[in-house]
Amino acid sequence: MPVQSDSVLPGSKSESLRPSIETRFKRQVGLLLISPWLVGLLVFKLAPILTSLVFSFTDYQLLHPGEAQFIGFQNYRTVFQDATAGTVLWQTVRLALIILPLQLAASICVAGLLGDRRLWLRNTVRTLFFLPSIIPAFAATLMWRGYLDPGMGWIGFLLKPLGLDGLSRQGSAAGLDFLLPLTSLWTIGPSILILLGAFQTIPHEIYEAAKLDGAGRLRRFISMTVPLITPAIFFSLVLNLTAVFGGAILLDRGSTYRGEISSYDGYVNYVLLDLFRVGYASSLAWVFFLIVLLVILILFGTSRYWVYFPERER
Amino acid sequence: MLKNPLPYLSQTVRSLPINLFVWALLLFYLSPVFFMIVTALKPTAQLNDRNAPFYPAAPEAFEYQDREYHIYFVPGEGGLRRWAMIRPGREMTEFIDPLDPEAGLITWEGNWRALQKVYRFHIEWSNFTGLLESLLFPRMFLNTFLLTSIGWIAVLASSIVVAYGFSRFPLPGGNVLFYVLIATILIPEKVTFIPSYFVYVNALHWGGTFLPILVPLFFGNAVYIFLLRQNFRSLPVELEEAAMLDGAGPLQRLFYVVLPQSWPVVITVSLLFIFYSWNEIRQVSLYAASNMDLIPLSYGVQNFQAFTPIQNLVSASTLLVLAFPVTLLFLFQRFFMQGLVITGAEKHSSL
Repeated sequence: MPVQSDSVLPGSKSESLRPSIETRFKRQVGLLLISPWLVGLLVFKLAPILTSLVFSFTDYQLLHPGEAQFIGFQNYRTVFQDATAGTVLWQTVRLALIILPLQLAASICVAGLLGDRRLWLRNTVRTLFFLPSIIPAFAATLMWRGYLDPGMGWIGFLLKPLGLDGLSRQGSAAGLDFLLPLTSLWTIGPSILILLGAFQTIPHEIYEAAKLDGAGRLRRFISMTVPLITPAIFFSLVLNLTAVFGGAILLDRGSTYRGEISSYDGYVNYVLLDLFRVGYASSLAWVFFLIVLLVILILFGTSRYWVYFPERER
Repeated sequence: MLKNPLPYLSQTVRSLPINLFVWALLLFYLSPVFFMIVTALKPTAQLNDRNAPFYPAAPEAFEYQDREYHIYFVPGEGGLRRWAMIRPGREMTEFIDPLDPEAGLITWEGNWRALQKVYRFHIEWSNFTGLLESLLFPRMFLNTFLLTSIGWIAVLASSIVVAYGFSRFPLPGGNVLFYVLIATILIPEKVTFIPSYFVYVNALHWGGTFLPILVPLFFGNAVYIFLLRQNFRSLPVELEEAAMLDGAGPLQRLFYVVLPQSWPVVITVSLLFIFYSWNEIRQVSLYAASNMDLIPLSYGVQNFQAFTPIQNLVSASTLLVLAFPVTLLFLFQRFFMQGLVITGAEKHSSL
C-alpha cells in the first residue's frame, strides 16, 4: 500500500510480541472509539458493495423481482458491447484528463501566490478565492452561460482589449466541452486550502540557505516548496479524481440523479431508475469501480517516485 | 513613533507589484460572480436588449393617455432627441415628445429597430422579494437548516470520536484499519448506491424522509476522520498524559484536552460539511424530494432555475441560497484558512 510513512500511521513498532494487559486495554478502548465507523463500514460500504456484486451476475429486473436468475458474466459481456456505455465512459475519462491537470496547475499557482508573505489582507484574499467553490454546480453552469454569451455576457468585453473576443463566440459554440473545464477552475477552493495548509508546515529556515546561495523566489518555489508539499498535492489530486469520477468529496457540486445521460454516472442511473435493470446497472457500476480502482492503484503505485515522505529519509 | 520609517516604506513599495497582481487576478477570477450579482439586480426587460447598459437599468418610460411608452433616442435635427414611441413601424414610426406632448404625434421616417432605448439606473429588488414570496422560501430554508444542523452534529461528533481512536490508540491489525479508512474515501458511490437505494426505499420505506441522508452520518465520514486525525496527531501528547494520571478517561481527555486545542480543524471540518450539505442535491433528489413538505433549498431552487431559466431570477435565487454559507465563510475565515493541514509535524504517535 502506498501511504507508508509513519506520519500517517499509528506507531506499533515498539510493542513487544505479547501485548501487556495495558496494551490490550488500550486496544479495546481504541476499538470502542472507532466502532461507529466500523459499523458504518460494514453496513454502508461492504454490505452494499458485495450485494451489488451479486446483483451484477443476475438479470434482476425491478418489475419482476421473482424471476431473477444467475446469468454468470452475461451482463459484463453486454457492458463491453454497449455503445452508449463506451461513449459515456470515454467522455468521463476524457474530461478527467483535461480537468485534473488544469485544476492541479491552477491550484498550485494560486496557492503559491496566496502563500506569499508580502500579501496584504491574506485571509480575506484567500477567502475570496475560495468563495466560488461553494456556488452550486447547476447555478454556476447557468451563470457561466450568461457570462460567456457573446451579446449579453462580459467575457467579450473583457477579452476585447486582448484581441480575443472571437474566443467567446467559439466558446458558446463548443458548449460543454469548453464550459466544464472552465467551470472546474472555480472549484479549486479545497485544493488551495490543502496546499496552503502544507505551506505552514515548511520550516522557514530552509529557505534562508537557498537565499544565500542566490536562488530567486520562483526557483525556491519550484525546487523547494513544490517537492516538500507533494503529499498535499497527492491528497488533493486523489480528491479531485474522485470528484471527477462522480463522487462527492468535501464539496458537492453534483447535479440531480435523473435526466442526464451524458456522464457515466448519469447513464447508470438511467439504466437503474428508468429501465429498472438492476442487474445490468450493478455490473455497469462494478466495471466503473474496477476502472477507478485501477487508476488509483496506478496513482498510489507511482506515488513513491514523486511524493516526498519525510520519514523515509531517516 | 518610528525612528526611521524608510525601511517600512520601501518594504511596502516592494510588496506592491505582487499585491496588484493578486488583486487583478482576483477581480478576473471573481468576475463571473460580479456578473451574477449585477444580473440579479437587473429588471427582466433589460435582459434581451443587446444595447442595454451593463449595469442594472430600466427603460425610461413616458405616460401618454393612460399608457406607458418606452423612450427612444431618435436621430434628427439637433442631434439625438428623446421621444416616446407610440406606434412602431418599419418605414414610419410615430413618436411623441415627452417635453411637448401637446404637439401630438410626430412621424419619423425609418425603422424603429435601428433605434436605441433610453435607460436609467434602476435596481430591481423585486427579483429577490418576489422569489421570497413565491418559492415557499421560509419552508425550504427551514428544511435545509434542519437537515444541515442535525447532520452536522451527527457527523462531527462521530468523526471526532473515531479520529481520536485512530490518532492515539493502538488498534488490532496495526495500520490495516487506517488503510481501509483511506480506501473508503476512494470508493465510487455508484457501487454502494444501488443496494442502498433498495434497502432504504423498498425494505425500510424511508423514501420521502431525511433518514437515508441523515442516518449514515452518525457513523462518521472518512475524509473528516482523516483530516481530524492528522490534526490530533500533531498535538503534544504530554497534556493528555497528565490528564490520564489525574484519572481522566479517554472521552474526558478528548473533550477537555484535545478539542480545546483543535478549534481550527473542527471549524474547518464543520464548514466543509455545512457547505456540502447546504448544496447537496443528489441524495435529496433521490430520497426526500418526493415529499413536498421536505424539499430543501438546493432542490427547490434548482428546480425553479431549470424551469425558469431567466438570467436575473437564476442569479437572484442563487444569491439567496448562498447568503448563509457565505456569511459563515467570512465569519470564520481566520480559522478556515489554517485548518486543513494534512501533514503536521508529529510529536508522538500514541499514548
